[in-house]
Amino acid sequence: MRPRWVKVLHDLWDNKSRTILAVVSIAVGVFSIGVITGAYVIISSDINISYAANNPMNIEIRTSPINSDTISMVMNTRGVADVEGRFVFNMRARKSGSTQWTSLNMVAIDDFSKVKINLLTPISGSPIPDKKQVVLEKKVLDSLDLNPGDTMEVQLNDGSVKTLTVAGIVQDPSSGAGDFLAQPFSYIDSSTLATLALPQIYNRIYATVSEGKNDLTSIRLVGSMIEDKLGKSTILVFRSEYSITNEHPMASTVSAILGILLALGILILFLSSSLIANTLNALLTQHTRHIGVMKLVGGQRNQILGMYIALILAFGLISVVISVPLGGQGAYALSAFVADKLNFKLLGYRIVPIAFIIQIIVGLLGPLLAGIIPVLNGSRTTVLHALSTDSNRDEETITKDQDVSNKTLSARLAHMLGKRNIHFPRPLLISLRNTFRRKGRLILTLFTLTMAGGIFIAVFNLNVTLHDYIGQIGNYFLADVTLDFSQSYRIDKIKNEALKVPGVVAVEGWTYGSAEVIQADGTVADNLTILAPPAGSSLVTPILVSGRWLVAGDENAITLSEGAISNLPGVKVGDFITLKMNGRESSWKVVGVFKFVNQSGSIAYANYDVISRLNHTINSSFSYRIVTDKHDKAYQAMVAQNLDTYFRDRNYKVTDAKTGDSTLKTAVESLDILVNFLLIMALLTAVVGSIGLTGTMFMNVLERTRETGILRSIGAVDSVIMRSVITEGMVIGGISWFLGAILSIPITYLLSTIVSLAIFETPITIHFTATGFLIWLGVVLVLSAAASILPARNAARLTIREVLAYE
Amino acid sequence: MRSTPASNSDSHPMVHLGDLHKTFSNASGEYKVLKGINLTIQQGEFLAVVGKSGSGKSTLLNMITGIDHPTSGLVEVNGTEIKTMTESQRALWRGRNLGIVFQFFQLLPMLTLQENVMLPMDLVGMYDFDDRPRKALELLARVGLQEHAHKLPASVSTGQQQSAGIARALANDPPIIIADEPTGNLDSRSADAIINIFDKLLDERKTIVMVTHDPALTDRTSRTLILSDGELVDETVVKCLPLLDHSQMLTVTKQLERFYFQPNSTILEEDHFVDYFYMIVKGFVEIVLCEKCRDEIMITRLGPGQFFGEIELINGSNSIAAIRAAPDNEVELVGLRRDEFTKLLAESPLTEGAIRKIVHIRLEENRIADRRRTSRRAYP
Repeated sequence: MRPRWVKVLHDLWDNKSRTILAVVSIAVGVFSIGVITGAYVIISSDINISYAANNPMNIEIRTSPINSDTISMVMNTRGVADVEGRFVFNMRARKSGSTQWTSLNMVAIDDFSKVKINLLTPISGSPIPDKKQVVLEKKVLDSLDLNPGDTMEVQLNDGSVKTLTVAGIVQDPSSGAGDFLAQPFSYIDSSTLATLALPQIYNRIYATVSEGKNDLTSIRLVGSMIEDKLGKSTILVFRSEYSITNEHPMASTVSAILGILLALGILILFLSSSLIANTLNALLTQHTRHIGVMKLVGGQRNQILGMYIALILAFGLISVVISVPLGGQGAYALSAFVADKLNFKLLGYRIVPIAFIIQIIVGLLGPLLAGIIPVLNGSRTTVLHALSTDSNRDEETITKDQDVSNKTLSARLAHMLGKRNIHFPRPLLISLRNTFRRKGRLILTLFTLTMAGGIFIAVFNLNVTLHDYIGQIGNYFLADVTLDFSQSYRIDKIKNEALKVPGVVAVEGWTYGSAEVIQADGTVADNLTILAPPAGSSLVTPILVSGRWLVAGDENAITLSEGAISNLPGVKVGDFITLKMNGRESSWKVVGVFKFVNQSGSIAYANYDVISRLNHTINSSFSYRIVTDKHDKAYQAMVAQNLDTYFRDRNYKVTDAKTGDSTLKTAVESLDILVNFLLIMALLTAVVGSIGLTGTMFMNVLERTRETGILRSIGAVDSVIMRSVITEGMVIGGISWFLGAILSIPITYLLSTIVSLAIFETPITIHFTATGFLIWLGVVLVLSAAASILPARNAARLTIREVLAYE
Repeated sequence: MRSTPASNSDSHPMVHLGDLHKTFSNASGEYKVLKGINLTIQQGEFLAVVGKSGSGKSTLLNMITGIDHPTSGLVEVNGTEIKTMTESQRALWRGRNLGIVFQFFQLLPMLTLQENVMLPMDLVGMYDFDDRPRKALELLARVGLQEHAHKLPASVSTGQQQSAGIARALANDPPIIIADEPTGNLDSRSADAIINIFDKLLDERKTIVMVTHDPALTDRTSRTLILSDGELVDETVVKCLPLLDHSQMLTVTKQLERFYFQPNSTILEEDHFVDYFYMIVKGFVEIVLCEKCRDEIMITRLGPGQFFGEIELINGSNSIAAIRAAPDNEVELVGLRRDEFTKLLAESPLTEGAIRKIVHIRLEENRIADRRRTSRRAYP
């Protein structure tokens, strides 16, 4: 092998800590890119393929009770490929022997072997339940610890409890796919309905279209025809949902979130590249003399350039070899995690060629781009500079002016503090001055740590921002307890009863309505869930975007959520929209627009009086909002339990009694997953940053070997030398914290806006928290100290003879 | 001291520096490092460059090796004017034409001695790829390191490292070897071994330019240049007045007047007033008593690096003999005026002592010759 390539190999092998530093910094970036691009490709493909593979419904219609004749009628509608009728109802369930009830959506299916829509994927046990058996969707297992063969208790409307045996666990990627607030599903055979004292009816129609499965317009058209038919048969349509086959309802949200993670991955790569630039700068400084010798014995610039480019490529290659397989594994692990959370099935482990190629390109080109300037500069080094004994000091040359100004500054500072009887120890002053000696390197290190800090703090701010928003959404859920019944009761009756339960201070009866927004051409533009509190309810504090809230006496007045308004292009406050409720169309005035979590469909509010009149439930309600005298969660839970017991004991058909904000908890959990992901990315950037700082401190120590020797020769003991190095590292950490704190502000705005647009489809108010700033201060100081300990130990280990002989 | 190869008819100039100036600038202002250096080095010469720290020795070497550029003046090495080349061209040219030996060896620590020697071949593309290991081993064998060829520099002694440095300098068979204090970091035995290697190289007609502080080494070179404060001391002054310090030598150099004489022409008549201390640059002079007499007697013949006139200047007498150019050559002299010579001796007691010894010897020679002449007259 040619001697110059032998040298490159030795450069790579002999200084293992430097090689490891360079390789790890590249590998972290390439790994992040690999994980995210791989996951992006896997998820965006599998989420839709998995969704489509289960033949999801294109049309879901919630109706008043229907029978198989209606299903046959719908089947005969032009454009319909398949139709199934199912009975979906809510029921409380618990593991036999447990006291903890969980609400489940129970789906009764006539013949599991003939299911063609929303297919169930078996996971364990049998996917087909016999009589008195139940099949659980795997998300049920999050709240109920059940396995096939176990028994589960369900509570009937009359309060009695029946036992069902778990036949199997399945996955249902289609049902409730677009709603991460949806309750988990379980499935029974229709023959079990009798056991549960329920009629053999259907209340949902699931249909697929024969043509244009991926065209929402044609699906809506078929849907309208079905609804027309149902209307003519005096069947009430409460709600209709349309979705295409080849796209999971959450796909775009997932893409947006992965986009953010990708941006962070690119940032990490960018930071690790700056680290490479730093490492190579130091390497070339160390190699200046080698370069000089090679040039002196005939080495031309291109040859030197070639050698160092080969070295960078070798760093890149090793990083790629390490990070590509890990990135592949990581991508699949991330995909599996997301798939589990969003309830879809991955198509199996595989290498994603594009992620593979991107990692290789990024792993080889990234360091090359980052390192090319130091290498070009290094290869340009003149022999004179390289062989000059003072060459290493050139960057440090202090001009007369700088010297004077520094002196003035430090002298002034020392004088000023001295007057206040504050004296810095001399070693500390040395550390402070050392910090600023290699400005280029300091800037690169600060850049990396500052970005890491900025992101880290911003993630905490984002967390607070999101939770604050959820908290604000909680203003729509101000009741301490929500009490639902399976039939409506007179409000004053329930009120009187409820007030007898200790802790209850106020009761409101609410009602709900489902409505379709009808366009001028008669097609459905959107489905609205209308919540109807009594006028002037104190249990809703809306966040208004425009217009006003409902007032007493508002007839056919409605307020729409931002999400709802975005589905109705052109509609604004003051406009009239046509709503179809219970089969009848009527005109409503939009009086206000408010913010809301948009993931649970389009929400609207109207006055109780109006909706109850339309529902024929005047002065009565299924759903009650209870205010208690204390508002902590434990107390709310206790009162909810007491209310449940109280009403059941008196034979009221209680469906559920839960704390007012329990629905939001699911949303918060989902947000926490995202925040945790972002935090992991932020920690990765912090790792890159601390690797950078370690490298910087190693280089600083190496370059100051002679100074260390001088310090030693004039009496500096190990601890003084170590303290000097560690203090320098911590000063850099401290500066980066300050800069990171400033940078976190725009990053917080950027990140919060992107995330809120992706999740809530609306920009939200940004909030800041001291937590992120303080935690990062702690983290960065610990990281800085940790990053400096090894270099400091190296410095302290050197003997005077070694350091003064250092060449 | 080795004989100068200048007399050799087939030698030609390997290095030519013409009116070379180099000025450095820094915060404290401009600093002239080289001030009008004129120098020609012939092929086969072994030249020592001597000077105190900061005198400009390294800068002078940097000019010859092309690693630094003159502020003005000409640098021509082996027929090539260096400033016409780009940095890369210069690197290639340097690799082929110059072998450079450093005080601190500058071997690449991660390469074996053999690989270090092969490195210049690799970079310059010298020899076939497969021949390089053998060539490198041959060179290492020449410096006695064949057994250590596969060792790393750190595994051999400093003397051996320097030998390997020389082997590397010879890798591309360059005509010129530049050595910057090659023995400065070695013990005397290792230093001797290095100079022996240089001696062998001279037999191969290599030209060696060596910066050194070691007077023992200058004795083994064919020429010694002294640099003082960026200027070259006249080589004749160095030879004639070696006990002066470098700044005194430089002062003398600046005070010199130059004289040329045809063969056989009289330089100084007997019993005449003597104005100068004469030093011979070129040619030979004859010291004769009773010149043009029938019984004239030649006391001695002086050549380059020798001087005359000192007896009269020290004793305050007229010339005690006649001086004339030898019949077979022209003579070039440099002269130092009487008052400057007197002042110089006052400033350099060592030189005065040495010259007085010579005066004593020469007066004795003169007396013997005069007695011989007188006896010849008495007994014709």
